[in-house]
Amino acid sequence: MKKKLVSAALCTAMVAAMTAGGSMSVLAEGKDVTISYACWDSNQADLLRKVADDFEAENPGIKIDIQVSGWDDYWTGLEAAATGGSLPDTFWMHSNNIYYYASNDQLLDLTSYIEDSSDVDLSKFPEGLCQIYSLNDKQYAVPKDYDTIALWYNKTLFDEAGMDYPDETWTWDTLKEAAKKLTKDDGSQYGMCAGLHNQEGYYNFVYQNGGEIVTPDNKSGYAQEATIGGIEEYFSYVAEGLSPEIYDDKARAEAIQNGQCAMGLFGSWNLSGFAANDFMKENFDCAVLPTSNDGGKSSIFNGLGNAIAATTEHPDEAWKWVEYLSSEAGQKKQAELGIAISAYEGTADSWTAAYPEFNVKCYIDMVDYAQIRPYTHQTSVWEDKAYEMLKGAYGGKEDLKEACEKTAAMMDEAIAAEQ
Amino acid sequence: MANIRKNKTHITKRQWNQYRWAWFMIAPTMIGLLVLNIIPIFQTLYLSFFKSGAFGKGNIFVGLENYKTMFGDQQVWYAVRNTLVYTLGVVPVTIALALLAAVLLNGRVRGKSIYRTIYFIPMIAAPAAVTMVWKWLYNNQYGLINHLLQKIGIGRINWIDDPNIAMISIIIIGVWSSFGYSMVLLLAGLQEIPRDYYEASNIDGASPLKQFFSITLPLVSPTLFFVLVTSIITAMQVFDVIYMMIDVTSPSYDSTVSLVYLFYNNSFKYSNKGYGSAIVMLLLAIIMIITVIQNKLQDKWVNYM
Repeated sequence: MKKKLVSAALCTAMVAAMTAGGSMSVLAEGKDVTISYACWDSNQADLLRKVADDFEAENPGIKIDIQVSGWDDYWTGLEAAATGGSLPDTFWMHSNNIYYYASNDQLLDLTSYIEDSSDVDLSKFPEGLCQIYSLNDKQYAVPKDYDTIALWYNKTLFDEAGMDYPDETWTWDTLKEAAKKLTKDDGSQYGMCAGLHNQEGYYNFVYQNGGEIVTPDNKSGYAQEATIGGIEEYFSYVAEGLSPEIYDDKARAEAIQNGQCAMGLFGSWNLSGFAANDFMKENFDCAVLPTSNDGGKSSIFNGLGNAIAATTEHPDEAWKWVEYLSSEAGQKKQAELGIAISAYEGTADSWTAAYPEFNVKCYIDMVDYAQIRPYTHQTSVWEDKAYEMLKGAYGGKEDLKEACEKTAAMMDEAIAAEQ
Repeated sequence: MANIRKNKTHITKRQWNQYRWAWFMIAPTMIGLLVLNIIPIFQTLYLSFFKSGAFGKGNIFVGLENYKTMFGDQQVWYAVRNTLVYTLGVVPVTIALALLAAVLLNGRVRGKSIYRTIYFIPMIAAPAAVTMVWKWLYNNQYGLINHLLQKIGIGRINWIDDPNIAMISIIIIGVWSSFGYSMVLLLAGLQEIPRDYYEASNIDGASPLKQFFSITLPLVSPTLFFVLVTSIITAMQVFDVIYMMIDVTSPSYDSTVSLVYLFYNNSFKYSNKGYGSAIVMLLLAIIMIITVIQNKLQDKWVNYM
């Protein structure tokens, strides 16, 4: 059934691509050109539409078609589209996948476009982010934003318990103590929401503990003692009954949004969603992540890039759109709308100002010591498999050390087979 | 005599015309089957001997390597087990319920067209949408089912994440959504049965139960056979419900992942299309074996009048 569905979907996509290709070449003769822009975040897409409207007003003849899908479907769909030669003209790129797409000639080399542009200056973007999206001295995407992870806490529950709010002095021990105080015995309320998640979960603890997920010589760090220690600390919240067992990605945000959990780790990209939620606005605020008991600081740092398909029929128009998104004015506008922390130097304050109800400055404060989200050439191959192997230990059914060693072996094998 | 023989070998213009029309009429189906089903089957078989390269380019021939990995992969055997458990859970229950409902609705029941419509509705709803609704019903904390269970004092059941329960939850959805379709087919079969048999047996004094086993069941058996074969094949290919409900991170993944879901994850999530193809070939083999057995057995119980 699904095989049929998939092949049917692929066929429709191909037919659609063929007809779209056909109509586009007609359009190119003096009529409007439509540039598709694919992304995976519906909250951001609504706001990006406003940026696109401004762009269309400034550039008559170019229309932007924003296409949204969920994170998992996005990458499955993008790969199918790339295989069928019908990638969207422009789309979001992620550190997990950049190498796979760039090294297999799916992305337009933007180096010369950037050199010729008066609006895009890569030196104004964080160097680490630019590096993620460059390969063999060629730039394949321009940074769009960056993100870090912060600790969200329910002020109302803290007030009720007469406790101080989290701040930069907090360590793992302080966090654990607070979680214990905020957990009710009858299971109606938990102090912490420690769902099974890497970027918004145990990765932060691993790097705070001095561990690594990927070592500098491109091996798995899962078997390192410090890595296991960090994961163990994070998983201990579930083991000790201070957090519900949560496996579903969306369920984590739900758990704090309906008052079930008092604290949780969330990335800055959630802001537009959180700010639209009345319960969050009324009860929640955020703070920098606690340090390990030895004072180890970290927060997982990542950023998206805007890329152009190598197969696009309208590279110039597509570049105009990406150029607009990457210019100082465009980046500032995105920050003011609160889409995400714009990557352009000096625009982060505009993003902070977009959310006066929360202490979102903490996200920017953490950049100084943040750790770039670990990635290899084909991150997506081992990243979710790691969940499969760790979930037994997370639920307390398997030994964590063994699970980590198994994960490390799987990951080393996956890295060795990367294309 | 000579004339007749000539007629046998020589195809008249009229016959040619008929052939042409026949081919023309079945061409859309033939082309559809060929392009969407038959060619992909062989492409999948071909791909299963390769380690797939990025974006469908640069495939490397690895012979039987994918199959070797597959037979040593515990998850594949979980998936075979889960697929069979799901089929055994869904098909008999669906068919029994569908037959019961069909027999009842074939009789003189007030408002039976309303019932028929109600029973058929799950079939026209998109599986993804159906699963989303069920997922809310099953929600551990706020789901309606657990809410009701708590009210009557049974307590919460972790319908989705408990490895021992999740398969039952999925089977319930499977039965619920496929039962209406089987019922409509069986109803059509029942209406083929001439009324005379029932009237004659009434005169002989047969009880309704006797009538069911001696008239209804044998005469509806060809339809029943068709429903059985197609239901088993559909059940073996279960994907949507499990995909929508159980994520790879869920503790019940290993006890619910079906062969098609495992194929999907390996092919598209982990970008290993060669290995995924091998898994699908295994599924194809299992379905073929089951269908062949069913065909062999049909002489024993199917009654073509």
